[in-house]
Amino acid sequence: MAEHDDVREPVLIAEGASAPAGLPKGLRRVPRGVDEFATEHLIVNMGPQHPSTHGVLHVLLELDGEEVVAAEASLGYLHRGLEKLSEHRRYHQIGTLLDRADYLSGVHTELAFARALESMMEIEVPARARWLRSLLCEITRLSSHLVWMGTFGMDIGAMAPFLYILRDRDAVLDVLEEITGARMMFNYVRPGGVLYDITPKAEQMMLEFLDRFESTYLPEYHDLLTGNEIFRARVRDIGVIDRDTAVAFGLTGACLRGSGVAWDVRKERPYAAYGELDFDIPSGSKGDCWDRYMVRMEEIRVAGGLARDLLDGMPEGPYMAKVPKVLRPPEGEAYASVESPRGELGVHVVSDGSDKPTRMRLRPPSYFNLAVIDEILPGHMIADVVAVIGSIDIVLGEIDR
Amino acid sequence: MPDVAKIAADLERAGLGAVQVAEEGLGVVCRADTSDAPRVLEALKADGFEMLLDLFGADTGEGLVVTYHMRSISLDEDVYVTADLAYGGTLASVWTSYPSALYPERETAELFGLSLEGHPNPKRLLTTDAVEEPLLLKSTAVRTHEEVRRDG
Repeated sequence: MAEHDDVREPVLIAEGASAPAGLPKGLRRVPRGVDEFATEHLIVNMGPQHPSTHGVLHVLLELDGEEVVAAEASLGYLHRGLEKLSEHRRYHQIGTLLDRADYLSGVHTELAFARALESMMEIEVPARARWLRSLLCEITRLSSHLVWMGTFGMDIGAMAPFLYILRDRDAVLDVLEEITGARMMFNYVRPGGVLYDITPKAEQMMLEFLDRFESTYLPEYHDLLTGNEIFRARVRDIGVIDRDTAVAFGLTGACLRGSGVAWDVRKERPYAAYGELDFDIPSGSKGDCWDRYMVRMEEIRVAGGLARDLLDGMPEGPYMAKVPKVLRPPEGEAYASVESPRGELGVHVVSDGSDKPTRMRLRPPSYFNLAVIDEILPGHMIADVVAVIGSIDIVLGEIDR
Repeated sequence: MPDVAKIAADLERAGLGAVQVAEEGLGVVCRADTSDAPRVLEALKADGFEMLLDLFGADTGEGLVVTYHMRSISLDEDVYVTADLAYGGTLASVWTSYPSALYPERETAELFGLSLEGHPNPKRLLTTDAVEEPLLLKSTAVRTHEEVRRDG
């Protein structure tokens, strides 16, 4: 029988192949046992190659039977050194790297970076470019949330929604391809504006999609998943993050709003065209997986409505400001953020006046949102782990960078 | 924009009069000694800055600067706290006040070659032991696979 009070020293990820995975000191709990029958804890390595860890997330789980008693996320499997590489690229070359951070909604990362540069260089962005930026942000939000909804459903055991969202996301990617020339790695938002204007064909494709989306697709999603009793039972009262915990762990986006804090960068610090638009910020109250689900489902609807408003009210004019061919922001620092599908995505640029940043820090929302799982998973059954991770909506590309 | 005079007065009352508070291009910045930084954060928390939005380091060429990005949701205001650190120095953890510091403190220590003090899980976060040099130091060069194979 193992010594239950024995606490193993923490091990590094690199040693995982030769040494057993351990959890940090202080996190271990004593097994309760069942009917006085002694049990011992089991450490399970969930991921990094696991379908419900949404990429290459590795979670160390310490289990007492089927109950999680401790959890630790282990990151870095997708670390490419994007921040370091950015210090060795000219400013206009960095957008290509940033698309590869949050690969489901690269436009948001591009926009945060462009906004930081524009504030340092005092570049006035034309109105049409601001509206096009918001339009692309909402289309990618819709597309990203669709991927989340499908994969979240699969985590819970619902296969059908994933097939539906793949059909619909493909239509959204067709529109994005028509506008930007790319389906995922756009490099579309540039300091001073955007790369291309929207074409009449893209506008028509978008409107046709929105018609189908509002009349058919969105009600289908709710029929398939929201109204599913098994799904409801699996996500209600699971993974509760109260307001104080959400704030303490720096949560943003739907994870924060699901806990009752209606904070959204688009409303609180308006950028692009958001200051000129009227839209709702959905929020929850309890902070469980269900609240986070409902917040995002509502955001899908709002994103569709915003895309329609943006197409309707698109101002005429140039879509790119006059900017120097080689960007050299003055010496100093700037922080700019956007509301990405996962939360507040910030870029902090430090410039020494040269054509490359001294430091480029990316604040990925999933990185902070994920950290809370170590806190909330203990006490849940192992089957709930996938529901909690799925409800947080992580993208490892931006977490590991 | 936060009230610079009020923050300076509150820090002075907390015995942190040496902290320089000023409005800069970035926003309101509190420049503190490394040893004072955790107390400055405590004082700002009492002022309503309840969220640590981000924490990161930067290599200036002469040393390191750690920046804490604080936010008050109720006041809708942000404040930055910066602290200078020597290369190879020690970063005191603020996780008991701000649990959101748990990951970025590990990352900053790992990528800038710092030691962590008071952190409950002071392991590497993103890289493995195979990465010997702190990646975000300016002295660590970016090399291609070919250069690594050729030069070792």
